[in-house]
Amino acid sequence: MYSATNNDQQLLRALAKGERVATEQIYKQQFPIINSWLIKNGGSTDDAADLFQEAMVVLFSKVQNEDFALTCAIGTYLFSISKHLWYKRLQQQQKGPGRLYDNTEDDGAEVGIAYEEDINVHHEREVHFNQLDTALDQIGEPCRSLLKAYYHKDKSMQEIAADFGYTNPENAKTQKYKCLTRLRKLFYSVQAK
Amino acid sequence: MNTNNNWELAEAYLAGKLSSQELVELKSRRETDEVFASEFNDNLNLISSLQSNGSQKRFRAMLSDIHKETAATKTRRTIQLPAHFWRTSAVAATVALMTSFISYSIMNSSKKSDDNYTNISNTVKAIANDQNRLKKIVQDSVINKKSPIVPTSDVRRTGTGFALTNDGYFVTAYHVINDGNGEGDSVYIQSNDGIYYKAFVVNYSAESDLAILKVERKNFQFAKNEVPYTLAARKAALGAQIYTVGYPKEDIVYSEGYISARNGYHGNSKQYTMELPAGHGQSGSPVIDAKGNVLGILTAISTPKESNTYAVSTDELLDLIEKMPTGNKLRLPKNNKLSRMSREEQISKMENYTFSVKVYKK
Repeated sequence: MYSATNNDQQLLRALAKGERVATEQIYKQQFPIINSWLIKNGGSTDDAADLFQEAMVVLFSKVQNEDFALTCAIGTYLFSISKHLWYKRLQQQQKGPGRLYDNTEDDGAEVGIAYEEDINVHHEREVHFNQLDTALDQIGEPCRSLLKAYYHKDKSMQEIAADFGYTNPENAKTQKYKCLTRLRKLFYSVQAK
Repeated sequence: MNTNNNWELAEAYLAGKLSSQELVELKSRRETDEVFASEFNDNLNLISSLQSNGSQKRFRAMLSDIHKETAATKTRRTIQLPAHFWRTSAVAATVALMTSFISYSIMNSSKKSDDNYTNISNTVKAIANDQNRLKKIVQDSVINKKSPIVPTSDVRRTGTGFALTNDGYFVTAYHVINDGNGEGDSVYIQSNDGIYYKAFVVNYSAESDLAILKVERKNFQFAKNEVPYTLAARKAALGAQIYTVGYPKEDIVYSEGYISARNGYHGNSKQYTMELPAGHGQSGSPVIDAKGNVLGILTAISTPKESNTYAVSTDELLDLIEKMPTGNKLRLPKNNKLSRMSREEQISKMENYTFSVKVYKK
């Protein structure tokens, strides 16, 4: 069985923190490979960019978990996820009996990647995030902007207090907690639907 | 404990800022106070979801930023070709050109000896009455000043074409452009509102009988929206219900049928055989399945029975698009907007992107 090299481990740790240099390095190494494969299989560069981004997000979420283990090289993992996402998309587009792709060239199965499970987890998470976004969109101002500034844009309470005209960060914080309470109500009612 | 404190506690807990004594207190409270525990758990979940959703959003933004940057530097790189390569590439281009001529003539001569395979572009005789309409439209458009370009010579052949991208790329059958008696002088499309637009050939394959063209006019658009259908990347199943729209005459005509064999004429695996009524002028029409996927491009009928119709499969088209000369970037639509529409709605959408292709020669 393969295992990620030390270099890979370092890269992944940096990737988990969302560091740009590491992300760029992975992108430049892996994207051309997936791009040329996809073009041979009826996709475009735009499709490749879509798929690759999705695969990177799957990996990004996976490495957030502290006790994650990648049992293969980063490239192999991303390639398998991208391929799998592409076949899924083709199946969805065409419905019908469609040809089942052959798994023989798929190195994923051999190196024991549970990519099927990773993709399912990813989809569930996406649904969850969509519900969260829906709730955020329904919450109204100033809560929507305030929560987005704090959680999406990663702004500090000081910056937010200044941007939203609160006299001090402590007041902004109190407002944030009020907003969170409203969001909690909305979110669980969205989820219940 | 009031609500704000509960949030503050959850935040501190997630950030790992609680002291060991506070952690012990929290633990016992979660075990004994059920109301507190359930609220605290909800808060924890919500905050951690918000945090990971946010960091994922920032990560996605960074990725598309990296993608844009890399794509930009790449195009700059491809333009520069060292001077000493030019001669080599010119030789390569000539060889490629010769090869395509040779293979085309072989295909063509074998086709001529074969009486029961007829390409279905219209010849000039079949469309004599179209000339009158042509003149009328020329007059009309002069008055309307809608179309500055007007074809000057006689129509040689007509076929059908359909849009690949809304900005002017479209496909038709190669034999519409060149029936073996040489290419026409100019190619025009005539949209369903009668306006002519001049087009030029971007890429073609005589062997698979496909040609990709582009409307010359700057900032041209077939319709307001992006092309609503997508090209199937895989071959469709035997028996699939299909239909086509094309221009065997002035007006757009609809006909329907099914895929009757996986392969085409003489077992050609790049084609489909279909039970689908089609006539002259319909070469180049899209073959569409019930969900609005384009499966193929009409190319020929077999004459003794006139019941078999052949279409080139879209994976050949995708292949040709992939081999486009550099500088031509086709952004094929990704979403099939026809899939949930009724047949009538699909056709009315298709009408905007399907048109008559006319080839002129002086």
